[in-house]
Amino acid sequence: MKKLHIIGIVIIAIAIGVIFVSLKNTSKYADFAEAMANPDTEYHVVGKLDKNQPQFYEPKVNPDEFIFSMLDNKGVQRQVVLHKSRPQDFEKSEQIVLIGKMHGEQFHANDILMKCPSKYNDANSRPN
Amino acid sequence: MEYAGEHLWAGNLGNAFVVLSLVAALVSCFTYLLASKNSAYLALARAAFNVHSFSVIGIAGTLFFMLFNHYFEYQYVYQHSNTTMNMKYILSCFWEGQEGSFLLWTFWNMVLGLILKKQLKGGDWEVPVMMVFALVQVFLASMILGIYLIDYKIGTNPFMLLRDHPDYAKAPFIQGADYVSKLNGRGLNPLLMNYWMTIHPPTLFLGFASTLIPFAFAIGAFWNKKYNEWQTIALPWTYFGILILGVGILMGGAWAYEALSFGGFWAWDPVENSSLVPWLVLVAAGHTMIINKNKGGSLFTTHFLAICSFLLVLYSTFLTRSGILGNASVHAFTDLGMTGQLVLYVLTFIFISVALLVRSPLLRSTYMVLSFELAVFASLYDFAKLALMGWVVVSAILIVYAYVFYFPKEKEEEDLFSREFWIFLGSLVLVLSALIITFFTSTPVINKLFGTELAPQKVPEYNRWMAPFAIAMILLVAAAQFLKYKKTEPKKFLKRIALNFFVSLVFGLICCIPLYFMHGYAEAEAGQKWDLISYALLFIASVFAAVANFDYFLAVLKGKVMKSGASIAHIGFALILLGALISTSKKTVLSQNTSERKVSGLGADFDDKKSILLTQGDTLPMGPYFVTYTGKKREGINVSFNVDYLKRNEQKELELDFTLSPLIQDNPRMGRAAEPATRHYLSRDIYTHVTYADLEERDTSSKARNAYSSAKNYIGGMGDTIYSSNAIIVIDSLRSNLSQKEYEKNSSSIEVTAVLRCMDVNSNVYKVYPKFVIKNSIIIPQEAVCEPLGLKFVFWKINPEEGHVEITMSEKVVNSKDFIVMEAYVFPYINILWLGSLIMAIGTAIAIVERIRKFRPTKVNV
Repeated sequence: MKKLHIIGIVIIAIAIGVIFVSLKNTSKYADFAEAMANPDTEYHVVGKLDKNQPQFYEPKVNPDEFIFSMLDNKGVQRQVVLHKSRPQDFEKSEQIVLIGKMHGEQFHANDILMKCPSKYNDANSRPN
Repeated sequence: MEYAGEHLWAGNLGNAFVVLSLVAALVSCFTYLLASKNSAYLALARAAFNVHSFSVIGIAGTLFFMLFNHYFEYQYVYQHSNTTMNMKYILSCFWEGQEGSFLLWTFWNMVLGLILKKQLKGGDWEVPVMMVFALVQVFLASMILGIYLIDYKIGTNPFMLLRDHPDYAKAPFIQGADYVSKLNGRGLNPLLMNYWMTIHPPTLFLGFASTLIPFAFAIGAFWNKKYNEWQTIALPWTYFGILILGVGILMGGAWAYEALSFGGFWAWDPVENSSLVPWLVLVAAGHTMIINKNKGGSLFTTHFLAICSFLLVLYSTFLTRSGILGNASVHAFTDLGMTGQLVLYVLTFIFISVALLVRSPLLRSTYMVLSFELAVFASLYDFAKLALMGWVVVSAILIVYAYVFYFPKEKEEEDLFSREFWIFLGSLVLVLSALIITFFTSTPVINKLFGTELAPQKVPEYNRWMAPFAIAMILLVAAAQFLKYKKTEPKKFLKRIALNFFVSLVFGLICCIPLYFMHGYAEAEAGQKWDLISYALLFIASVFAAVANFDYFLAVLKGKVMKSGASIAHIGFALILLGALISTSKKTVLSQNTSERKVSGLGADFDDKKSILLTQGDTLPMGPYFVTYTGKKREGINVSFNVDYLKRNEQKELELDFTLSPLIQDNPRMGRAAEPATRHYLSRDIYTHVTYADLEERDTSSKARNAYSSAKNYIGGMGDTIYSSNAIIVIDSLRSNLSQKEYEKNSSSIEVTAVLRCMDVNSNVYKVYPKFVIKNSIIIPQEAVCEPLGLKFVFWKINPEEGHVEITMSEKVVNSKDFIVMEAYVFPYINILWLGSLIMAIGTAIAIVERIRKFRPTKVNV
């Protein structure tokens, strides 16, 4: 067998290995129920801000802690502790993706992605 | 209805050019096809391409004219410009939208096509290369066609009238006959009003366009059945693509770092990745071409990579423009309903590549029929995913078949100590890393195909996975130059390289031990230890690559700059990796806050101490500095926050070092956006951005100053604390005028007094006594005011079971000073990254000139 063939096989093996190992470690999208069932696993939870619940942001106490409530896509509500400062335009968000894990009754997020109604090409977000 | 003031001619002209450009490209493609049998068609084919070029210029010119003259009756003009904006941003308006950026791409393809047409005129390569160019132009032109075929929308048209656009047709402001005179556009997104938006897109799209050249030649090689010639012509072009696309990507990084608050220059965002991946593959293709030119061989790999690079550009177009990235990316385009068209575009070019790769007519026609059948099945029945996967497998098998049977194999095995072997290995490492990045970036596609729920990878994961590849790549960059093609004496090679290696190792260890192993290594988790080791290895390897290439440049090339393009580019590449490594791995948070609260058991990811609260006028220590927030200033939609950085001088007095003014843009189109401010030093950058602030001006009239803000309710037991903006209040105790027994006897009146201890920042303690009074079962709370602190308390509820009381507190407005929440980071040695970028660009440019000279094509037979 030629050297290059051996290298080729090694490379394909590495690629498959990396893909499988990363698949195992990749965080998944989930709802609160699944995150509750596996409290030590990191999940991405998609949902909406629950506007009926109070929000707490006291930068004097801790500028990196923001507490609010989110409804996941199944309608389950949980209190969320975001370990970051309160995002700009938080109320305007249409959709929230939280990255974090359950800890007791609260979901602790270390990052948040928000979808706002207008990002770049706003006219293309269709008015109803 | 008749509408006054519409410039319908402009749209008609534009549309005429769009249709003409499409038809001319189609004619050109078809006549080039005929010309491969009968050269009489050549003249027509060339003329058609010229007509196409003319129409593309016409489209662009018309759109510019419309933008320049504010024809707001057109949706594109309305959407992307207005009368008040500065005209220097008109170019940015042109390519802000999807249609305009497709047009930009078409334009560059056209320009490159014209140059190649002239360069290749009359040779073997003109026909197939220009045929591919014309075909790509047909597809791109269809992207801005904007017509409906039965139910399918083909392209989105930049010349659509506002009143024809589905989003606006019913809008009240375009209903009157004279609506045009009242219109003003929405304008360019203010976030994009900077010079980056003027230079980044055209550079990036020129880079994308230039990947078409090696692709066209590789397809042309299948067409001509000549695999060995084209590299001579295509090689400088490939390096041109590497240069331009590389510069475009780095510009995007610089933009993100300077003007957007991603917190770094590279966030592994899918949009960034999808321009990086074609570049990596193009670099790999460029290197296998060099092997081919100098020694022969690597034919299949060269063709495969040249084709893949362009296909990956198409794939990234699909990713970024179909809306499939959705949640995964912060800055993908929104869905314009062209997903189907984009998928078709990618699949068609894969199909063409595979169909031409297969030489046997029987096999080729089987493949074509099979593809066609699968397409029909997929569109008629619900088998689309299955059909797609089946087709991909068949295509992959055919590619392997072609590799085994059609491409000449080297009789002799490559020597282990040969330059071609190591360059080839380097190309494979590049491709492998590109493959893995593609896989990570494609999670939304994988989720769609396989119904999985994979979330996108995060930045640290990307860094962790890519580090070993970067190490392998940069070691090859260090060593390969010292090897000769075919065979090198191992002893000689090792002798040459050993000194370089030891110098780098010693220097690297001196730097790395304090950087990565002195503090916190012993306590780190296993994963972090692994990271630190890989950082150190990458550091040493990058230094090694820079030193070795510099040595090669001085000792072997005798410092002749014009012959050393490769060495210079490789030094630049090593410095880019080194700068990226140091600035990312040693990025430190300056703005640690001192809050005590910590949720244990969540892990290091939840380290919530990145932000600092700065109250106006107060001076706080932050890293080596003392910082003072001195106030904000509003200019238009930008609110800047001035923060002074002070340092102690020799007399131990605080002295102003510098002032940074990070912005928040109150962007009417997309909400608030933070723009960082950075203090540049040679050895480090101090990078800050405001994450939370009140943008409104404060009312400073005396009436407003004495008013109280709305009350907030606090629930707590004895000993609990309440935070006001100027004091800490402890619920000390409760006193009652009556004992429990007395209360039961004499129920007419009871009075409970809460004792509150308020301590201000200077540790002065004030006591306040709000009362909770029940008279004849009616609660009458008595408020208590602490004048010196401007605090008002109302004690209104007792919860005896839980031992809690409820107290509301309101503060004088003047108390709550303006404040900001800010993050500040140090990026050490990030200038090495920018210096490396510059050196790599210069080196690549020299290499292009070098290659053009070296392989100046012998005059092709005219």
